[in-house]
Amino acid sequence: MAHSLVWLPSVLRNADLKVALVDGWESRGRGDVGTIHGVICHHTATNAAGNMPTLDMLIRGRSDLPGPLAQLGLGRDGTFYVIAAGRANHAGKGTWQGLSSGNTNFIGIEAENSGLKSDFPWPAIQMDAYRRGVAAILEKIGKGPEFCAGHKEYARPIGRKPDPSFDMNSFRASIAAVLNGTAPPLELIPKEEATEDGSGRPTLRRDASGDLVKGIQTKLGVSPANGHFGPKTEAAIRIFQRDHELVPDGIVGPKTWAALDKL
Amino acid sequence: MFGSQNLEVIIGLIVVFLFVSVISSAIREGIEAWLKTRASYLEHGIRALLHDRTGDGIARKLYNHPLIEGLFSGDYVPGSTTTRPSLSGGNLPSYIPAKNFAEALFDIAARGPDTNAVSSGPNASSVSLDSIRENIENIDNPRVQRILLAAVDNAQGDFERAKKNIEEWYDSGMDRVSGWYKRATQWTILVIGLAIAVGLNINAITIVDYLSRNDTARAAIVARAGTVTDPQTPQDYATATETLRSLSLPIGWSAGWGAPRRVGEPGAGGVWNDWIGPILGWLIIGLAATMGAPFWFDLLNKFMVIRSTVKPHEKSPEEGSEDRADKTTPPEVPVAPVPPVSNATPGPAVAPGASIPDWEKIPGPTDPEDDVDGCDVEVKDETATSDENLPAAEGGIK
Repeated sequence: MAHSLVWLPSVLRNADLKVALVDGWESRGRGDVGTIHGVICHHTATNAAGNMPTLDMLIRGRSDLPGPLAQLGLGRDGTFYVIAAGRANHAGKGTWQGLSSGNTNFIGIEAENSGLKSDFPWPAIQMDAYRRGVAAILEKIGKGPEFCAGHKEYARPIGRKPDPSFDMNSFRASIAAVLNGTAPPLELIPKEEATEDGSGRPTLRRDASGDLVKGIQTKLGVSPANGHFGPKTEAAIRIFQRDHELVPDGIVGPKTWAALDKL
Repeated sequence: MFGSQNLEVIIGLIVVFLFVSVISSAIREGIEAWLKTRASYLEHGIRALLHDRTGDGIARKLYNHPLIEGLFSGDYVPGSTTTRPSLSGGNLPSYIPAKNFAEALFDIAARGPDTNAVSSGPNASSVSLDSIRENIENIDNPRVQRILLAAVDNAQGDFERAKKNIEEWYDSGMDRVSGWYKRATQWTILVIGLAIAVGLNINAITIVDYLSRNDTARAAIVARAGTVTDPQTPQDYATATETLRSLSLPIGWSAGWGAPRRVGEPGAGGVWNDWIGPILGWLIIGLAATMGAPFWFDLLNKFMVIRSTVKPHEKSPEEGSEDRADKTTPPEVPVAPVPPVSNATPGPAVAPGASIPDWEKIPGPTDPEDDVDGCDVEVKDETATSDENLPAAEGGIK
């Protein structure tokens, strides 16, 4: 049976954010949530490489704590992974705005970040997606930025949790900017390369196919080079993008095309 | 004929009853101070009131609530789970004010049973009728929840009235506890009274027999009764034993069984004198002790007044005597069961909160698995989700 938060993907998609659905998300949860009053921001604090290495653990939980551990995971490339539409064990003991049932009344977002110095500042694309995602949810539930709490602010006793590693007050200020419409518009990846004659190559992502995909696969050494843009090809592109200081989102847009051309 | 002589015998007997009652209740109080049976009855009564027979649900939460926990030292240990309270109350309080009870119950409902950083921090939810209703599941006992909800609904938004409802419910429960305790105390006092009667050989029949035959003793005891009814005379164990000894009544074992005729007196001996008389006499003393000192004190006052009307020249001021009976209800009250006094002082029981509308601060019941949370976990490389295993994303392209 589907839980209450089935509106999450559409709300995030309407905010022009990248959204990926984890299989079975609609019915996942430790029971259903109660009335949602806000959002608690976390970071995963795990030191592993990749876009969202903790995804599996967020879904399944761990030996002492059954999953899901958050409704949403936020990858380093700013993709929201929708994990559960029901209640998740993300909050622990704490209180915010007089509410002390974090798991019941708050949506938990786990952003992929080690919380270490080497992982700070956060990728701009991830931070931007974070504030826009939270703003979209707050707008949907009709609450202001003060109902976005950092896990470190919610958790009691104070100091029990360090996440997230960024400053929450300026984060809330930036959410307010998004809600008030004073934030600069989100930069989206163009559909195709900008050329005068309109012959630019289209932007490619998972499940695309054709000779262009085959060309990429050959260049990056993905085998078999079958012309189908599958998860393997995407992972290879992410590695390529990381090496060339591009956003490692696995989407081949104009910038990635340009970088591939130089190969 | 209801003459002056018979009256004086009755007065003498009442004086003896009064002193035995005082001594019995003093001993009873001593035992009570040692065993704290009152606390045990209170605890048992609260468990019955809260429908928590084993004492590990709401009753335990209540006793562990800071408002109640401060009333006793040590930890809460539930007493006997049978229908009879245990004899000893341990460290538990022998008295819980109705106000504390109601406030603790409301607080548990609104903020949860645990005292921790969440329930006692500045952001803890406020105690209001709304938050009590919203968080009622914190009580975790359907019957008590229902009673609380009824009290809250009945108050129609008036917090003080809801509190008053709970206090009244508690008081009515405590009246019942008082009743149990009173009955139990009377049994104890009967045993103590019998022990005194047998131990000191105080025999009502002997005393009546002796007083009716001995004019000087009768005059002495009536004179003594005059000082007893004087409010200046303290009514405590020491005075009572001292007076009893000084009356030179036929008590004690020095002259044998002694009922109604003592050994050596004319008419002594026989089944009546040696068996039925003493046993009956002691029983009367024991039963008289259960009536309690206040009862005998009042009765003594009344008889003194009657006697004064019979003997005008020894008149004691009637009105004064009546007043005295009311005003000087003896300080030694043998049965002083848990007094359910509610001295509710109206005051804000609502915690100061941030500038958020009250309805916003209504949390659900505390999460069932809220003692753990998911951040800060070491993900090993073998358990990490590789990029290849991530689900496909959409959006982000215009």
